[in-house]
Amino acid sequence: MPGQVLTITSGKGGVGKTTTTANLGVALARRGKRVVCLDADIGLRNLDVVMGLENRIVFDLVDVIEGHAKLRQALIKDKRLPELHLLPAAQKRDKTAVTNEQMIKLCVDLRNEFDFILIDSPAGIEGGFKYSVAPADRVLVVVTPEVSSVRDADRVIGLVESQEKPSPQLIINRLRPAMVKRGEMLDTADVLEILAIELIGIVPEDETIITSTNKGQPVALEDRSSAGAAFLRIAQRLMGEQVPFQVFHDSPGLLERLARFWKSQ
Amino acid sequence: MSSVSFKGTREGLSITLGDGGWRAMMSELTAQLGRPGAQSFFRGARVLLETSGRTVAVTQIEELIALLAQHDMTLVSVMGEPHAQANFNQLRATIPPPELLEEEPPAPRVDDSQPLVIRRTIRSGQVVRHAGTVIVLGDINPGAEVIANGDVIVWGKLRGVVHAGAAGDLRATVGALLLMPTQLRIADHIARAPDDKRVLRWPAEIARVRDGRIIVEPWGTS
Repeated sequence: MPGQVLTITSGKGGVGKTTTTANLGVALARRGKRVVCLDADIGLRNLDVVMGLENRIVFDLVDVIEGHAKLRQALIKDKRLPELHLLPAAQKRDKTAVTNEQMIKLCVDLRNEFDFILIDSPAGIEGGFKYSVAPADRVLVVVTPEVSSVRDADRVIGLVESQEKPSPQLIINRLRPAMVKRGEMLDTADVLEILAIELIGIVPEDETIITSTNKGQPVALEDRSSAGAAFLRIAQRLMGEQVPFQVFHDSPGLLERLARFWKSQ
Repeated sequence: MSSVSFKGTREGLSITLGDGGWRAMMSELTAQLGRPGAQSFFRGARVLLETSGRTVAVTQIEELIALLAQHDMTLVSVMGEPHAQANFNQLRATIPPPELLEEEPPAPRVDDSQPLVIRRTIRSGQVVRHAGTVIVLGDINPGAEVIANGDVIVWGKLRGVVHAGAAGDLRATVGALLLMPTQLRIADHIARAPDDKRVLRWPAEIARVRDGRIIVEPWGTS
C-alpha cells in the first residue's frame, strides 16, 4: 500500500509546526511505521535541528529535485529509530527553488518507500505553503489557542478546501488548562466553534519541549512528558485507532501545593 | 478614421480615445451622440473612459461629464492612464455620486439575479460578491467578507464583514442566527460591533436601515 502524505501547516509562524512534525514522526516510527519527515521550509531549515540530525546533512531536498543527488543519498536515517528518516531542506536557496509539480513527483517516489510522509510546511500562504500542500493526502493544521493563530488557521483551512483537498484536521497546541479555567485563554470549544473541522489532537503546554527542542531530542521519544504522550495519541489516531481525548487536569502538582502552603504561612 | 470608439461592456458603455486632438475627439463624440437614434440608444448609460495611455486634465473630464449629462449618461470610471484616473477620482470626490443628488432615493436597481446559496462556512480571507441576495448555510468567519446587492441571510454565525444592498438598495437587510459582525454595511451606511464584548443574544436577529441608521432587532418582530 503506498504511503500517505500528511502536510503540517498553520499560516501563522511559531505555533509549533516543526515540533509537531518531528514528534509525530518519532511517535509513528515508535509504532513501527516507516516515516520520512520532509522539511519544506527552504532557506529556513529547522526540522533537522529539532530532530538532532543537523550534522548528518550532505544533500538536501533541492539537490534531489534538481537531480544533483539521488533520493537515497539525501535521506538521513534517524540515530535512535531505524524507521524514521529526514529529508532536509536546502539552507542556501529559497522557496522559488521548488514547484508544486516537483513536490508531487517527489512524493510519488517517497510513497513507495514509506508509510507516512510528513511535510513540515513553512509559515505563510505563499509559494512554500502551496508546494507543501500540493502533494498532501491529508492536511493537519496546527493552532494555538490565540485569536491571531485561529484567524490564520481559518484562512489556511479555506485555502486548503478551495484546492479540493479533504477538510484538514486540527491540532490544538500549547493549551494551558489553568489559563483556560481562569477564562484567560480560548478553550478547545472556542477554537472548534470557529474553525469547525475535525480535531485530531490537543497538546498541552509543556516546558520540556523547549529543552528537548534545543537538544534535538523530541519529547515523543519518551512517555513521561505530557506533550510527548499527546503526540503519541495523535499518531495512534493518524493510524486509524480510536483514542479518547484526554481531559487535562489543572489541579496543582504536589510541589505547587507545597509552595502555596508555604506562601500561606 | 474614427478617433473615438464605442464598445458595450458588462459594466456599461466603454469609450476609447484615439490619437486625435482632444477638441477633435470632443466634437466627434458630440456628433456621434447627436446622431438620430443614438439618443435613445445611449440614454442612461454608465460610461467607462479608456484613455489609451493619454492623460486627461480635470477640466477636460468636467467637459466630458457635461457632454455626457446632456444625453443622460454618467461617467463612472476612467482607465488607461494614472494621472487621468487620479484627476477623475479627485473630481468625483468633490461631487456626491449622482444617486445622492436626487430628492427621492432612486428606485433601487431591480435585482433580477438568482439568489446565491453557499453551503459552507466562508473563512477568513474569502470574499463572496453577488449581484443578488446571498444565503449562507454556514458561518461567515472573522476576516471573511460578503458583498451583495440584495439581502444577506446567514443560517449560522455571522462574525465577518457583510455589505448588503451594495448597489445602493436601502431596503436590503442582513439576518443571521447569531449576528455578531465585525462590521455591517447596508447601502452606504456602516455600523460596527460595539467594542465591549457582546453577550450572545438569541433568537436570530436582523439588521436594517431605519431613520438613516442601521438598527438590529430580533428576527420576526416587524
